[in-house]
Amino acid sequence: MLRTAGLTGLGLAVAACGRGFGGGGSEAASGKIELNMVWWGDAFRAQKTQAALDLFMKANPGITVNTEYQDSGPYKDKLATRFAAGNPPDLMMMRMDSLREYADRKSLLNLNDHTGIVDTTNLSQAAASLTKVGDAVYGIPSGLNAIGYIVNKTIIDQYGVTIPDGATWTWQDLATFAKEITDKSGKKVYGTLVDPATLANLVVYVSQQGEDLFTADGKFGVSEATLTKWFQMFEDMRKEGGFPPAGFVETIGSSPDQSYIAKGSIASQIIPSNGFLGYNKVSGGNLVLLGIPGEATAKRRGTNIGTPALWSIAAASKHPKEALQLLDFLINDVEANKAMGTTRGVPASTVVADAIKPTLEKDDQVATDYLIGLQKQTLVAVPPYPKGASGIQDELTAVAPEVEHGRLTPAEAAKKVIEAATKALSQ
Amino acid sequence: MTLTSVKDPAVSEAPVSPPKAAKPPQDRSGYLFILPWFIGMAFTIIPFFASLYLAFTDYNLLNVPNWIGLENFAEMFSDDTWWQSVKVTFIYTFVSVPLSLAAALGVAMLLNRGVRGLPVYRAIFYLPSLLGGSVALVLLWRYIFGLNGIVNAFLGFFGIDKISWTSDPDHALTTLIILHIWTFGSPMVIFLAGLKQIPSMYYEAAAIDGANKWQQFRKITLPLLSPIIFFNLIQSLISSFQTFTQGFIFSGGKGGPANSTMFYNLYLYKQGFEQFHMGYASAMAWMLLIIIAAFTGLNFLLAKRWVHYDN
Repeated sequence: MLRTAGLTGLGLAVAACGRGFGGGGSEAASGKIELNMVWWGDAFRAQKTQAALDLFMKANPGITVNTEYQDSGPYKDKLATRFAAGNPPDLMMMRMDSLREYADRKSLLNLNDHTGIVDTTNLSQAAASLTKVGDAVYGIPSGLNAIGYIVNKTIIDQYGVTIPDGATWTWQDLATFAKEITDKSGKKVYGTLVDPATLANLVVYVSQQGEDLFTADGKFGVSEATLTKWFQMFEDMRKEGGFPPAGFVETIGSSPDQSYIAKGSIASQIIPSNGFLGYNKVSGGNLVLLGIPGEATAKRRGTNIGTPALWSIAAASKHPKEALQLLDFLINDVEANKAMGTTRGVPASTVVADAIKPTLEKDDQVATDYLIGLQKQTLVAVPPYPKGASGIQDELTAVAPEVEHGRLTPAEAAKKVIEAATKALSQ
Repeated sequence: MTLTSVKDPAVSEAPVSPPKAAKPPQDRSGYLFILPWFIGMAFTIIPFFASLYLAFTDYNLLNVPNWIGLENFAEMFSDDTWWQSVKVTFIYTFVSVPLSLAAALGVAMLLNRGVRGLPVYRAIFYLPSLLGGSVALVLLWRYIFGLNGIVNAFLGFFGIDKISWTSDPDHALTTLIILHIWTFGSPMVIFLAGLKQIPSMYYEAAAIDGANKWQQFRKITLPLLSPIIFFNLIQSLISSFQTFTQGFIFSGGKGGPANSTMFYNLYLYKQGFEQFHMGYASAMAWMLLIIIAAFTGLNFLLAKRWVHYDN
């Protein structure tokens, strides 16, 4: 898979060279303006995206849009290499956790310097606040999502366990619920599996404790005590049985069909809300979407509306005006969004989100309702991660298995994460 | 013409020797053979020197490199993950290279006893090396060593509890070392060719003198094969230090669990492309070159003691 993606990338790179260097797009022989647009995803997303782009090219006969897409891993490398080579794409999907790596180095177009083309009036408050880096705006969310909690109702019913109230349940309720499933199924199914090493999970818990993942001045804001409690919570669940034993999780893939809930050996887990349709398809079609535990009783809300990626424009783009036009189209055109659906999350424009909802599949509507509901509540926004944040993710990924296998205590792991975070953010 | 004959009387003494212009065809075909290398070289030489320069800079891919002297090199020594990557790579190399060479030699000797259908066996044993660095094989390896894989099923037969080979930080590297040992095909083929070069009269003479098989192996096979062993050792050491794919695929690009499969080159890649520390990554690449050169040099020094060339 990876090798194929790499080869595809190579082929595309060669093709890109053939079109000439510089700016990514160029004037074709016919006098048409060519835009180069890149994003990550799969063939399914490619099909939907192309449908939207066909509409754009029909409406703008003077512009041709060339797209390239890859898996998210190779995509990241390719994007960095293209910027380094001075040949960035015009419009690109920009990972939120890479945003400041590029934006802080002036590689992206500041949309505030080019007002008038992209209509941002219908963006939800949450969507608009997501992308601000200081006074600048370096892109528009390609789709909104939040983490949610899914429970396989078929399994729950089979063992006669009742589903807690997703709006008011606590982390303690989760532990009790998970243990009950494991016990009643005779360890055939484990109650829950939450990855303590995923930053998107941790950030919710941290916010519930009244702390910020990153402080306003870009420092790591999580206390050792909170991190210790976070790791301890899952180790306790593991001891009680709600959590699978150490060494259980082996899958490296992150697609829904590779998940343990799809295999039926886990009854519930956290997912990004835009993945609800995908997870439901591979898990028997009887999933229920709940809120994250602890929200009602915590010091403040932890769930936040995020976006996996922005649509950003390269500062070096030769056709910023056309790229902005395309961006506006992707954000505000209802037909385009009907074509794209919610593969990247719920559209950032509330008008568009409402307009396309009836055309979505039932599961996507569930996820969209979840997100529209969240947008009406008062949440704590998480600003774009500062440069070096990926170093923190790496350290979390490194220490979590050590806690799992008892080589580090939760307190020792917390200490290591904080040391690594301080170092990563100071570079 | 006169000048030539004055300078080099040998030319005038040998009138049949072809004029200079006629000589190159031989050279030309030689150059033709190494042409692919030259073409490849053109693509390597620029990045090669660029990375040398970048090793002394703070370069993030997006901005102009900024000269910082030896800072990148100094930073490695205070970087825990760098040390971890060195440790992983060293353990991997120093455990798997001797074992895989021993396996290669052992199988080569078995195959050298004149088995029927030798090409078939040779191909079968060689196959894993062709696939060794491939994505599919590493993924397959994960399943074989999975919690419910055949290795645990086999061990379970003897009453051994399930071992989480791939997700326990204590076992993940072991799993990759076993994979490396299993892919002994290419040194094996070279050993096999070397064994065929040893004249059978030595063994006959030794047998007449009453030497047993072990003595024959120690006194004849090993010394006469030593140049081949040396060649395989150097080759394996270098490629093993540069291991990337196995760690990348096995851990989904993360070097986990708990950095236990964080190979040197994997960490280099992560620094360069994930953390945008391309200057640091370049410095790491040059440090690896120094490490490999040091071990290769050391081996050449030690070789004087145990490698016997025919003349």
